[in-house]
Amino acid sequence: MIVGFENIGLAYEDGAEVLRSVNFSLDEGQFRFLTGPSGSGKTSLLKLIYLAHRPTRGRLTLFNNNVTEAARDDLPAMRRRIGVVFQEFRLLGHLTAYENVALPMRIAGVGQNQYREDVRELLNWVGLGDRMDASPQTLSGGEKQRVALARALVSKPDLILADEPTGNVDPAMGEKIMRLFIELNRLGSTVIIATHDLNLVKALGKPVMRLENGDLVDSTTPDPAAWRASG
Amino acid sequence: MTQTEFADQTTPQTLRADAAPLGRAPNPPAAINSARKGRAWWSGQTPILPAAGATGAPMTIVIAIISALAALSLAAFVLIASASAKWTSDLAASMTVQIKGASQEEIAANTTAAVNVLETTAGVTEISVKSSSQAAKLLEPWLGANADSYLSVPALIEMRAAPSARENLAALRTRLSAIGDGVVLDDHGGWNTSLIRASRTGQLLAFTIFLLITGAACTIAAFAARAGLAANADVVSLLHLVGATDEFIANEVQRRFVLVGLKGAGLGLALALVMLFLASLSARSYGAGAYFLPVLDFDMSLIAPMAMMPVAISIATAMSARFTVLRTLRLKI
Repeated sequence: MIVGFENIGLAYEDGAEVLRSVNFSLDEGQFRFLTGPSGSGKTSLLKLIYLAHRPTRGRLTLFNNNVTEAARDDLPAMRRRIGVVFQEFRLLGHLTAYENVALPMRIAGVGQNQYREDVRELLNWVGLGDRMDASPQTLSGGEKQRVALARALVSKPDLILADEPTGNVDPAMGEKIMRLFIELNRLGSTVIIATHDLNLVKALGKPVMRLENGDLVDSTTPDPAAWRASG
Repeated sequence: MTQTEFADQTTPQTLRADAAPLGRAPNPPAAINSARKGRAWWSGQTPILPAAGATGAPMTIVIAIISALAALSLAAFVLIASASAKWTSDLAASMTVQIKGASQEEIAANTTAAVNVLETTAGVTEISVKSSSQAAKLLEPWLGANADSYLSVPALIEMRAAPSARENLAALRTRLSAIGDGVVLDDHGGWNTSLIRASRTGQLLAFTIFLLITGAACTIAAFAARAGLAANADVVSLLHLVGATDEFIANEVQRRFVLVGLKGAGLGLALALVMLFLASLSARSYGAGAYFLPVLDFDMSLIAPMAMMPVAISIATAMSARFTVLRTLRLKI
């Protein structure tokens, strides 16, 4: 099992309960869109999966490890198997676009000679071949998003999480990004994408998990006709 | 195709299932390989943690000042040690025989007898007699001329002896006192013991100051490391989420502090050396008046410990920063 949620609840320090009792599981090679209104807990659910938080209650399983009871020292190895495209990009301002993409490889202790061409290829692929030495401060929102995407994918993660990955790009590019995720999923990665873009979700016809007020209310493969009818 | 579009819609070769293992190609473009300001000299890569003030110029200056003080305390330690060694070896090699008597004749006769004893004593290398009249001459500023005509001013015999002569000091003392009650051997033992004790106290004090200053440097490094972590909280959080271990982050911080420590301590050492050189010049300019002042020689006994100081300070500050980072990060998820 790649991801397993059993009665997972999450409350922040101020007492606000953002997830109530969430249950689902994903095996290798599965794909899920995560939708729901703002404040429904999508980002919090992703944060639990990429180990930014631990659940307040319930049992969280990642790569067949019980995260709820895992030692702190066990977390980095699990995090290295996850590629995350953060909603706010989270690029390091003092590094170039190239260095930001290379970051997971440096952290994993991979030698520069081993990842240099991969990083370059990814940046070329996302259309930033001539911006490799650019500082994130000089990049547009869309360019930052593409750097963040390249960084999330460079280590060929087993699990890909993306939080509104098309939020800052035009529809055409958004669709291209989604098609890349689908292709990576076809190659074996498990993918979870949180998005508001229902048109994209409908167009791609992939299974959807829907959160409302911290509860998982629906987990189905959408019927495009039904989605169209519900707006 | 514009730069706002993907260059290729197909899956990048890097991510394909049949992709070759990582590490296909060398020869990076010059733009990537070019040395850029801020890149770490040991790897050609930009440090992952930004300087963010904590390890910037102010920290370098603080370390430089602290290191200058540490270097001066080390120099004091070496100076006291060398001066003490010089003084005590001078005292250990010399002894004085004092010959008192009721009359000039008795003093003169006992002086001759004492000289005979010393000349036949093994290990005595040099004898210098100050007769009663010569001793009176030395006292002239206080007693006036010809004091020996109305006072029995004692005669003095200054002697230098090899260390072996000290082993039979009791026998020599007995032979001299056999000449007369007024013949007394002074081996300067009391002075010697006092000097050794005083110099050891001085050395202990100087070394304690050195340790305290190093401790201050470690404390400052700990504060700076904590401030650096707080200033870079977002970066540290991201590094964790991308899979960095606490040790990885601590290594990054430690590397920065080693560099800042070496730079600051090197500056401090240079400053201290300039100050010591000027002080040494000043002491030498006193000439004969400075005979009793210890003179700083810029030899290996001084240079070696001082050259080690920047290394010691940078290691101490880096380790302090490392432990602070590890302790602070342990409190996170």
